[in-house]
Amino acid sequence: MQSSADLEPTVRIRELKKDRVNFVLENVDLAFANSLRRVMMADLPTVAIDTVEVVSNTTVLPDEFIAHRLGMIPLVSTNCDEAIRNNRDCTCESACEFCAIPLSLSVACSDNRTLNITSDHLQYDPAVFDQSERGAEGDETAKRIENFGHPVGKNDPSVPPVLICKIRKGQELKVKCLAKRGLAKEHAKWSPCSAVAFEYDPHNKLRHTTYWYETDSRAEWPLSDNAREEEPPRDDEPFDFNAKPQRFYFEVETDGSLGPQEVVMKGLQELQRKLANLVLNAKAEQEPELANGVLSGGGDPGTNASGPGAWSVTAGGWGASSAADGSPAAAGWGGSPAVTAAAGGWGTSASPAGSGGWGTGASPNAGGWGTSASPAARGWGSPSQQASGWNV
Amino acid sequence: MNAPNRSELFVLEDGEKAVEIIEDTKIPNAATIKVVKEDHTLANMLRAQLLASPSVLFAGYKVPHPLQPYSILKIQTDGTVTPADVLTQSCHRLIGTLSTLEAKFKREFSFKDVEGAAVSEDPYGVPSTGGPTWPGGRDYLDF
Ligand SMILES: [Zn+2]
Repeated sequence: MQSSADLEPTVRIRELKKDRVNFVLENVDLAFANSLRRVMMADLPTVAIDTVEVVSNTTVLPDEFIAHRLGMIPLVSTNCDEAIRNNRDCTCESACEFCAIPLSLSVACSDNRTLNITSDHLQYDPAVFDQSERGAEGDETAKRIENFGHPVGKNDPSVPPVLICKIRKGQELKVKCLAKRGLAKEHAKWSPCSAVAFEYDPHNKLRHTTYWYETDSRAEWPLSDNAREEEPPRDDEPFDFNAKPQRFYFEVETDGSLGPQEVVMKGLQELQRKLANLVLNAKAEQEPELANGVLSGGGDPGTNASGPGAWSVTAGGWGASSAADGSPAAAGWGGSPAVTAAAGGWGTSASPAGSGGWGTGASPNAGGWGTSASPAARGWGSPSQQASGWNV
Repeated sequence: MNAPNRSELFVLEDGEKAVEIIEDTKIPNAATIKVVKEDHTLANMLRAQLLASPSVLFAGYKVPHPLQPYSILKIQTDGTVTPADVLTQSCHRLIGTLSTLEAKFKREFSFKDVEGAAVSEDPYGVPSTGGPTWPGGRDYLDF
């Protein structure tokens, strides 16, 4: 760990194609590399069909079967975190243009032949929304690319469509679908990745695995291509039990909903967002009144290029959700102008503690807190009192 | 049906605290930090970074149950810094590493054009050649 902490991390892209990127990551910890892998697979939002209303289905496949197949179709999700909001966060009744993509499919076969129903038959169809009611105005729709939410490769003759069902004469399928934003943590259909290959130590010098063998493990286990990147171990080499993996081989393959570049970059940003969130919440947990200091002294949100963009979106989200709820606990979070400001202030502070706006907070137990006139802020007081102990 | 909403796995409920720091009463300079709605992705990375700090005597994490969406970090320091502060420092180190990596990735991507198509970048790092479609005349089976 020490050695990898001293060196700057490096990356080398070995191959970049439309649907995949192959790169070598060096001088990072195994846990770090693995977190990058996990975040790319499970923490990036995409859109996928989530509700299906079956109007008519006389095909050989049952409704559930069709609904599942529809859900698995990759939909173009470029810039998903800005181009669509979460359905659960939207103020509309059920679904609207800001939080869902309406798609419908209506195919019948009248000839004596087999007809393939494919993802090409899915049409963008605003009539799927059952009412004109819409959620709070937003700029989501303006941030969409032209074919956002459409099946990947639609209208591109070089991309074979996804087969949904085969029908014969007299059979038909009519469905109304709503595609929604989601995470692969909820359902794998929302993963932008079809596969992420991850390998380190191709010669097994670190002995993180044990090969089963009949007579000779070296003869029976072929080396991976990545083994060419590393020196094979000498036969007389003693086992170095302090060695740590340094070099990680990735191949990120996407299903087309996001490009490989967007997956990697958004993955890195999402990790930073998670960490920044943790810093902020740990701070709030320890010294709730610091949020006030930030309000007055807060930094410039624009100076740090790394996380804050995506990050303040989240912070804002809290404000919105807690404002809707009148419970006393929620009121604590409702001090969220402060929380949001802190997100900006955080970016500028190079030193972990106390710099910039944070420092202006009084001691953890300062009475000044109680005098605060803001009713929203009062929520902090009681639940977090015990945490103040940290600063003493 | 009584199945819990799946989004409860990663969305904080109203009023739910994202982080809880519980000071250890028996071990000096030790604390247990409960991070709600985060899993191995965050906790394991942090654990590794914490162990790289010379003032950390112990750092470990667990996700106590796969159906309960929180993870627990235990930290003990040598007393020069509180567990909560060393956690914050580690987070900042990781963010630093991630942002240098982000810059390096950006550079690498700008050198590599997608084979068979010229790609320029818009602010989101999205290829501007009409989204994720295949270059003309080929399909993914050709790759
Ligand atoms: Zn809506």
